[in-house]
Amino acid sequence: MKFEKNTIVKYILGAGLFFVTFYLLEKLLSGFWLTLFLLFGINVILAISLNVINGWIGFFSIGHGGIMLVGAYAAAFLTLPPSFKVGILNLHLPAFILNIQLPLLPALLIGGIFGVMAGVVLVLPALRLRGMYFCAGTLGFNIIATTIAENLPNVTNGAMGLRQFPSYTNIWWVWGIAIFLIYITLMLKKSYIGRAFISIGKDQCLAEHMGINLLKYKIYAFGFSAFFTAIGAILWVHLILNLYPRAFDLILVFSVVTMIVIGGMGSVSGSIIGAAIVTLFTEILAPIEEGFNFFGFQVPQALGLTTILLGVLLIVVLIKKPEGIMGEKEISLNFLKGKK
Amino acid sequence: MNYFMQQIINALGWGSILALLAAGYTMTFGIIGLVNFAYGEVFMAAAFAAYFALTIFNLPYWVALLVGLISAIVIGLAIERIAFKPVRGAGMITLFITSLGASIIIRNLFVMLFDDSLKSFKTPNFLRGVYLLSDLIFFKKNILIFSITIILCIVLVYIVKNTKLGIAMRSISYDSQIAETLGINTERIIIITFIIASFLGGMAGILWGILFGSVRASMGVIMVVDAFIASVVGGVGNVFGAMVSGYILAIGSALFIAYLPQELIGLKPLFVWVIFFIILIFKPSGLFRANIK
Repeated sequence: MKFEKNTIVKYILGAGLFFVTFYLLEKLLSGFWLTLFLLFGINVILAISLNVINGWIGFFSIGHGGIMLVGAYAAAFLTLPPSFKVGILNLHLPAFILNIQLPLLPALLIGGIFGVMAGVVLVLPALRLRGMYFCAGTLGFNIIATTIAENLPNVTNGAMGLRQFPSYTNIWWVWGIAIFLIYITLMLKKSYIGRAFISIGKDQCLAEHMGINLLKYKIYAFGFSAFFTAIGAILWVHLILNLYPRAFDLILVFSVVTMIVIGGMGSVSGSIIGAAIVTLFTEILAPIEEGFNFFGFQVPQALGLTTILLGVLLIVVLIKKPEGIMGEKEISLNFLKGKK
Repeated sequence: MNYFMQQIINALGWGSILALLAAGYTMTFGIIGLVNFAYGEVFMAAAFAAYFALTIFNLPYWVALLVGLISAIVIGLAIERIAFKPVRGAGMITLFITSLGASIIIRNLFVMLFDDSLKSFKTPNFLRGVYLLSDLIFFKKNILIFSITIILCIVLVYIVKNTKLGIAMRSISYDSQIAETLGINTERIIIITFIIASFLGGMAGILWGILFGSVRASMGVIMVVDAFIASVVGGVGNVFGAMVSGYILAIGSALFIAYLPQELIGLKPLFVWVIFFIILIFKPSGLFRANIK
């Protein structure tokens, strides 16, 4: 790739702009709004990486919860303090894992690699199964991963889960990775690899006829998606500071699916809009679930209300506007340059 | 050997419920290609309706049965009208997502209103107790559930194979447009299919209440996955195959955990998924010929 002087200036300006923005946001935001902003960033990561499979490759996966689980546990064993792993739980792991506590970056990379391994397992059903059967197979992957994690008390502490995580997640990690992922996927969409992905989604047989190696590109797509899904899960775990197998069940996957369906399958900017809508919706309505006093009238506790409303939103969008807000288009920044 | 036989006999009760659900599942799956995740909530709602009729209103048993079945049919049809009809023809995946949404809405609504605890379901007195045959134990309620299922199975297979309604259903599952040009009212047949499927789901829900003596809001989501797998194993659209594979899966799971070490009993859900993947890889059309489609 040839870098012109203009391009380099543009990148430096962009980086400076993001740096200043996030510096200001870190100073300004706190408490609830900070958590909201971080969750938004994590949801952007999860939604875009799920969109690579569900929107581009055209295999509808609801098994990304299994990938999140594998990545999150792999990272958790590295970042948990040794006092918790040995002293409190007495986990049966190799000694060198029990006695170390790594910072976030190596944990993200190693967790991501384990996530990629789990993602490549998902390629196996994608080779033989189509449509609905692939969907059901990924659901099976999710359930199998959760069941195994719940039944290995010596390794994962079973359904009780793990606690005492160091609070690593901050704006810089979340939004740095999110901006990086947005940039990469937008570039990918225009490149040969991304167009190969999308052509597989449009018509698998035709894509094969055009000389696209299906196995190779499916492995690329699932690996890419799984790596960032695992990273999103690791950031999420280090934000909410606990981890148990049921955290990654169908409800979580359902909310990510809602994001990409609302935003538009196949569109990166659509995933961002969907993530924004779902995050705001969930977090703003969360206090209502606890019950509150409305001018002397006691509104009772209603646990699960946000999930119900999310389901209603999903069905309404699917009926009224099946292609989502953006369809397959992207928000174009070309108007800044003054051309169409 | 007795232990082995006893496991099979005990699994027959649960297997009957799975068989009923799988039969209802496979009908909607075969006829409009709908993988109905919300079917588990029809099952759950019927059990809850019967529970309320029995416990809160103290109605007699046959009225509770009627209330449960009617509410199952009402809820099943409501889901079909609201969530499935507007997106019919938009592809299996869209239908699946709306059914997943509907399932999550209904389940969370029930959890919100009645929480997710076990609620005890009254068993009628004449169903308490056991029969002994040499040293095998037959629970009375298992015998009742098994015989109800077998009767319904015979009726259902007769309807699908021999009546005009069944022929219409099969023709829609081959090609709904051609069926429509041949003068079949597809809309009406689809509604009737949903009524039959919801009836079977509701029956299964009430029988679950009798068998386990309790109902809970999350009971549907456990069963609906197994029912889906049973309908795939039996061959999509094949009512008889779905029922037989429902029994096969139930007996297989029971034997699987019976011979597993005590601390690994939690691995029970793995069994059905292993069967599912084996069937899809080696015999994707199912164990029995898919006879609706």
